[in-house]
Amino acid sequence: MKTFVGLAFAAGLMVAATRPSEAACGVQAGPCNCSDLPNPIYLQVGDTQLNLMKALGRKLRDNTPKPITLVWITSGSCPNIDLMYHHNPAAGITATMSYAPSQAEAATFTTASTPFSCTPTTAPATFPDIGNSALFNSACTTEMPPSTLSLTIGPRQGYVLAMPRGTSETAITAEEAYFVFGFGPVMLQAMSAAIMPWIDEGQLWIRPTSKSTLLAWAANISVPAAKWHGTPEPGSPDVVNALVTSSNPSAALGILGSEVYDGLRGSLTIMAFRAFGQYAAYYPDSTATSRDKKNLRDGHYTVWSPTVWMQNTDGTNPVNPDADYVVQMIAGHPVTPAPNFAPNVTVAGVGLVPDCAMRVQRSFEGGPLSLYKPATSCTCRYEATVDVSSCETCSATTPCASGTCRDGYCEEF
Amino acid sequence: MRALIIATLALAFAGGCSDDANNTGKKDAGVVIDAPPTGGPDASCFTLTSATPTYNEIINACTSAQKIYKTPHLPLLGSDGSLPPLP
Repeated sequence: MKTFVGLAFAAGLMVAATRPSEAACGVQAGPCNCSDLPNPIYLQVGDTQLNLMKALGRKLRDNTPKPITLVWITSGSCPNIDLMYHHNPAAGITATMSYAPSQAEAATFTTASTPFSCTPTTAPATFPDIGNSALFNSACTTEMPPSTLSLTIGPRQGYVLAMPRGTSETAITAEEAYFVFGFGPVMLQAMSAAIMPWIDEGQLWIRPTSKSTLLAWAANISVPAAKWHGTPEPGSPDVVNALVTSSNPSAALGILGSEVYDGLRGSLTIMAFRAFGQYAAYYPDSTATSRDKKNLRDGHYTVWSPTVWMQNTDGTNPVNPDADYVVQMIAGHPVTPAPNFAPNVTVAGVGLVPDCAMRVQRSFEGGPLSLYKPATSCTCRYEATVDVSSCETCSATTPCASGTCRDGYCEEF
Repeated sequence: MRALIIATLALAFAGGCSDDANNTGKKDAGVVIDAPPTGGPDASCFTLTSATPTYNEIINACTSAQKIYKTPHLPLLGSDGSLPPLP
């Protein structure tokens, strides 16, 4: 027995000695030192960006022209903004962080997989290279960002109201949402103003006031975050769980990021939303079953926010060029060296809308929309990625009858 | 009489609604467009011809997307549609 243990120990030492440097961190079973990972970039992001971290993190691990490891932790948008604005060391990251494994480390990893974990440096606490908020920063604070912080607008994030699957409800108006979340079913009932079917105070599932999901909805239905009725859940999965296990499903209503709903369409029913002043209610997508985010992109669905990506600069240039590489990539800007994947496809694949597919814009949370024309359009490519595109296809030998041939599609411009 | 006028106007405008001029993508085959209820929200839509349409025109622009009309009974709403202050 002693001989067996000794041989096993020796074999273990041999394996460890022959591991590539990153292999020590490529084991899901236990955390390793984040700093041992190849080219780590540290991020603190909103939890709506989790799937982006997993998908983009995976691509960047295997990005041969510039391999990068995204090492992230999730938190509310408002705390993320506060951390990036104030560089408070006491608020630095000390908790276990996550990263996506490379193809070699886990061949079958997807956004549904549990990410690998690592331990950040804690003395001093790790300060993120990149911070993210999933809404306009002004929704969290009136403070201006420091001159050493660069803010880049990234893809757009949609937010939805959802009920458990099986409900007969299809839509909610801004006025209804104002009363339901601003007064609460108990008070409405007492005032003989109940709104069917949302008459159960215990069946409203919301998020804390520091979260973009609540703040975005708050701005769109004119109910300040502090006045919301409902049960705040710490994470989107908790809202989902509350909805699908509800004891009164016909009255259950929750707020979610649209990408969460998109991944759980079999369990949830999205409510079309009619904004103040709008004639009809619309889904984020052109129909209840499509995935094209057409209404979000053209202004018919108003509940969306930009994602904002914050990175440190010396006042002019990024402190960490590789962090800037990641930020520009997420924002859909060209980067050098060109990656071995299409960032906009990755962004679209996790439910976000790239800037190049947007046709409306706003300047503050829930603010009025105006028309928007990005520098180049990727509408056809976007629709082909998330749904179906009927755009004309093109190639070097089959030019477009009109528009610009880009990525195999005849884009409008 | 007022309802009749609104309904007539609604039908007239509805006839003028077309797909987005910029809609290069899919057509509206299979898309359900619910009919507005009588006396309900204005069924008209705006064809965006200006380079700077208003917010109201953008959110009510003509579209092939699925629409759902709803006229909830909200007793606390002001007669002019105004919202009462939150408690």
